[in-house]
Amino acid sequence: MTKENAFLGIDVGSISTKGVIINENNQILSSEYIWTEGSPISAVKRLVGLLEDQFDRGCYQIVGTGTTGSARRLAGVIVGATVVKNEITAHAIGTTTFYPDVRTILEIGGQDSKIILVENGVAVDYAMNTLCAAGTGAFLSSQARRLGIEVDEMGEYALRSGHPTPIAARCTVFAESDLVHKIQMGHPREDIIAGVCRAVASNYLNNVGKGKKITSPVVFQGGVSKNIGVVKAFEDLLHCPILVDENGHLMGAMGAAILAKRSVKRDVFDFSVENTEFVTREASCGRCSNNCEMICVYRNGQLIDSWGNRCERGAVSISKSIAG
Amino acid sequence: MKQSRKIALPRYAEYNCAMKYVVEQGFESKCILPPPLTKRTEELGAKNSPDFVCTPFKTTLGSMIEALEAGADTILMVYGICRLNYFAELQEQILRDLGYQFDFINLSQFNTGKKKDFLRAVKAINPNTNAAKLTKAFAETVRMVEHLDEITGKYYQVCGFDPTRESRLIYRKFLSDMYAAQTLADIEESYRTARRSLAGLPLQKPADPLRVGILGEFYTVMDAFSNLEVEQKLADMGVEVHRWMNVTNSMLRPGGKNHQIQIMERCEYSMGANSTTDIWQAQTFAQMGFDGLIHIKSASCTPETDIMPVLANLSQDYKIPILYLTYDSQTSDVGLMTRLEAYYDMIEIRKKAAV
Repeated sequence: MTKENAFLGIDVGSISTKGVIINENNQILSSEYIWTEGSPISAVKRLVGLLEDQFDRGCYQIVGTGTTGSARRLAGVIVGATVVKNEITAHAIGTTTFYPDVRTILEIGGQDSKIILVENGVAVDYAMNTLCAAGTGAFLSSQARRLGIEVDEMGEYALRSGHPTPIAARCTVFAESDLVHKIQMGHPREDIIAGVCRAVASNYLNNVGKGKKITSPVVFQGGVSKNIGVVKAFEDLLHCPILVDENGHLMGAMGAAILAKRSVKRDVFDFSVENTEFVTREASCGRCSNNCEMICVYRNGQLIDSWGNRCERGAVSISKSIAG
Repeated sequence: MKQSRKIALPRYAEYNCAMKYVVEQGFESKCILPPPLTKRTEELGAKNSPDFVCTPFKTTLGSMIEALEAGADTILMVYGICRLNYFAELQEQILRDLGYQFDFINLSQFNTGKKKDFLRAVKAINPNTNAAKLTKAFAETVRMVEHLDEITGKYYQVCGFDPTRESRLIYRKFLSDMYAAQTLADIEESYRTARRSLAGLPLQKPADPLRVGILGEFYTVMDAFSNLEVEQKLADMGVEVHRWMNVTNSMLRPGGKNHQIQIMERCEYSMGANSTTDIWQAQTFAQMGFDGLIHIKSASCTPETDIMPVLANLSQDYKIPILYLTYDSQTSDVGLMTRLEAYYDMIEIRKKAAV
């Protein structure tokens, strides 16, 4: 019996690592969502192990692998990806496949946020936060910690509030001091949390969404879309329903898998990376005063890739380091 | 009599070759080229600058320090049409506080438009300047700048479609020739060679390639180090990169008033610095059917921030996506690559879908 083709997509973000395996019809065969915990290599290895447990190796064979997210290059080297794609394209491809009518994609992740405008199933404009990570998941996590609750409970607290506390949303640092002030003034916790959710939504619309025409249907995704309080805040501010897919957090990984499917490149993925040792080393080029910080990736002690150097001079010093 | 000065101007894109030419041939003085901009330049500048000043201030200050280290005894600083007018004064004070010994020629001081003050500036650089030689050198420097801008423009339009990567070598050779040029004949010959070689390259270029227009703040948009080589990165993806903004277009053949009239419907008054020209460029690129625009500015640049709503309207009217990039003293270009790749994917898929 010939095995059916399957495709693996991995999205390694700053906070969480997501993975899906899909078949030719974009149906999810296995999916997993774990914390990156500051170590993308071990997160990818763990993720691959968890995906394998759900995967039917008798019926399917993975013939294409796509990686995306801020650690896409590192993840791509580790799993031997056939496609390495930026997360904006991956999200756009993933979402338009499942929602062909979508006009606006809002995405808030751990450290970045983006907006993608779609017309006739094709992304026509996008924006991404620059320089500053205000109003992203990282902000919600740190405020949840300050208030002594889990970040995934925030949404429920927020919904119980009848009167969200106004919190300055311009900048995370200002928002934080405003928040502390409001807590000490005696505002109820529910109202504070609802205020934080609203601050995230309005901060997003004032920064990333500035000057962009937001048209319905609107799909909201990324880790923060799991927070029902922020969803509610967006609905109030945009006066339109906000669609949140139950697999919204997996859209980047889905996009990566779909891109691997569309690509002509094929390479069988056999889960062996779980037991392979990967080490990264930082090297400083030192050939000019740029001092490029280079990352060298070793598989079982052997250098397999490196990046970070701005010019050819860095490439030379790497080959020397292998020789030495 | 005092020995001839060793003059330096902070690094600015590749225009230091023109500076070198006019100083050596016109003022018959020595020109010290500060080393190419690196992370160290930026760090030196950032360390000694006010925190919230724009990045070009920091970069030029860092380059001045590196010029002094390289043996310059005189720093020359230009003026412009924004806060740049005050850069020189503040930078001189910072350098003096750091303990450097040098002469500082602040051209802003002589910027009155009067002939008398122009002559005072000339005398400040070298009191024994030969007027005939200087006039000749000025004219020749203008030629050099025009050629430099023309070849640079051509280069970024072809290098993305040049499989042999020969264009890089041609461009690099041309630049080093410009830095070495001693006479007008040197300039003209290198220019002709470079133009001919670039035109003769066997290109693999589609009939209707992706075309992207780059515009934005004067320093960052032109200086490859400051914008993390955005033009080269984009070209390498297979894009024809167009940039109107250069010294030739903005200073040698200015059309400010004309530009204001052409954008009257979008913006009635100038918002300072290059705002009018920038909007005009965006409009012109959009009317030419470009696939996208990239707007570049350094953080805290007020005129460039002010024109963003106008650009947003223009983007909607012409259905042309604009990528806004803000630069600060950063250490890595990973974030930029993500945005550029995504932008490229978007305009490419969009173009295919439109066909």
